[in-house]
Amino acid sequence: MHTLRVYRRSLGAHLRATLEYQADFWILVVAAVLTQGAGLLLIATIFARVPRIHGWGVWEVVLIFGMMVLAQGTSELLAEGTWGLAGLINRGELDRMLLRPYPCLLQVCSSRVGMNAFGNLTVGGGLLVSALAHLDVAWTPGRVALAAVLLPSALLIKVSLTVVANSTSFWLRGAINTFAGGLDQLGELTKYPLSIYSVGLQAVLATALPFAFIGFFPVSVFLQHGRLAWVGLLTPLVAAWCVFLAVTVFSRGLRRYESAGN
Amino acid sequence: MGPYRAMARIAWRNALAYRVPFLMSLSMMVFNLVAMFALWQALLGDGNSLAGFTWPQMKAYLLVSFFTNCLVSTFTDFAMASRIRSGAVAVDLVKPVDYQKSRLAEALGFALLEAAAAATVCAVVLVAFGGVPLPSPGRLALFVASLAAVVPLKFLIAYMCGLLCFWTQNYLGISLARGAVSGILSGATVPLAFFPAWLRQVAEVLPFQAVTNTPAMLFLGRNPGLPGALAVAVQLLWIVALWWLARRLWHVAVRRLTVHGG
Repeated sequence: MHTLRVYRRSLGAHLRATLEYQADFWILVVAAVLTQGAGLLLIATIFARVPRIHGWGVWEVVLIFGMMVLAQGTSELLAEGTWGLAGLINRGELDRMLLRPYPCLLQVCSSRVGMNAFGNLTVGGGLLVSALAHLDVAWTPGRVALAAVLLPSALLIKVSLTVVANSTSFWLRGAINTFAGGLDQLGELTKYPLSIYSVGLQAVLATALPFAFIGFFPVSVFLQHGRLAWVGLLTPLVAAWCVFLAVTVFSRGLRRYESAGN
Repeated sequence: MGPYRAMARIAWRNALAYRVPFLMSLSMMVFNLVAMFALWQALLGDGNSLAGFTWPQMKAYLLVSFFTNCLVSTFTDFAMASRIRSGAVAVDLVKPVDYQKSRLAEALGFALLEAAAAATVCAVVLVAFGGVPLPSPGRLALFVASLAAVVPLKFLIAYMCGLLCFWTQNYLGISLARGAVSGILSGATVPLAFFPAWLRQVAEVLPFQAVTNTPAMLFLGRNPGLPGALAVAVQLLWIVALWWLARRLWHVAVRRLTVHGG
């Protein structure tokens, strides 16, 4: 409990610091809206001409897309600091964090707040609500329970994968981790129904790099869509695995860490 | 010309020395290409055509769009932005060379490498997927000319956005917003032919469409004869106009510069 409180306060401090620059805040909110708007424009223009892609209708795809945007916003809010990990290692600034009586991983995560988080959370949440409203979902108690498990699991997967991707900084040793950026971009592939990709790529996105469990599989099982819908039930398990992976890879990396020496 | 040629050479060598970030940022664009290929193949693969695009034509469009995306990617403006923010730009001001021409020289040096890398990817994709309609030699020459014009054009757009750092602290937001806006209006996200009429008209009077739409339409032979040559002329006109505009912006911007200490 204490750990969570410190985490929240650390994020809060960074949030207040960043909000000092109000123009920057609004620029990033607008940037997030524009970026997601471009993705939505692609979806809208396609569905203006065809009713379905591999059996997926427009609001179903918007639901996947909304999940991805919401997850991105969550990771920018809770783990944006990991994007600075490469710099912290490179400059030897991690020493400072190791001295404090608080888990190093959580310190790194909360060492920054992604300002486009607010734009992405708003856009993602909005897309989720409007897609669900248009899809005419029957909210039985079972469905509500399912959603209550799927949503946090999916968000946790995104946050954990961000941590895993950036923990590679312990081995790569550059001041900026472009590898993590590449992985993140690979994850963007799962914004569209997975079946459009080749079988090999589908397998990678479902197992080794389980980005498909952020949007595609949870939405599949929630809407009972397609033969592989049941795979979505594994989402909480995948979330647990990803958290385990994030903690393990980070602490393995930390054991390798050598200070910059000054 | 001497100093500018040297700067272009240094930029080229820099990119060669820091291969990992360069290749990673290229791989991000390759992932995006993979997603777009899969998406449009799902839509057009069985012989359909949408908005006048068949699958072979869409493949050609996606490759041209990928190529123009690779040219003058984020290096120019991010380097500029960080020098403006840190105040190191003061050193650039002291040098007896023109600031705008120097940045162009760097962008050109870099673009050579970007073009080589992008062409390699395109060649691999062509061998793997094949079936792209090739234009006649005369048309191909015009296409290459319009690709060459894309470099200064994209540079000038990025340069002017970089100058905005004289007003704001946070360049990430501006860069993201620029990427989204130019992605939509250039036709890189969706071909302009898919737009509703009003948006298409807006896009056609702006400089962004000269970045992706013009070379792609030339490659596909959508504007045979005089209109094709005129499209390249419009690109050149935009270069002249934006070059002048960027100069004006620089003169206003540089007056805002305050460098503390040294």
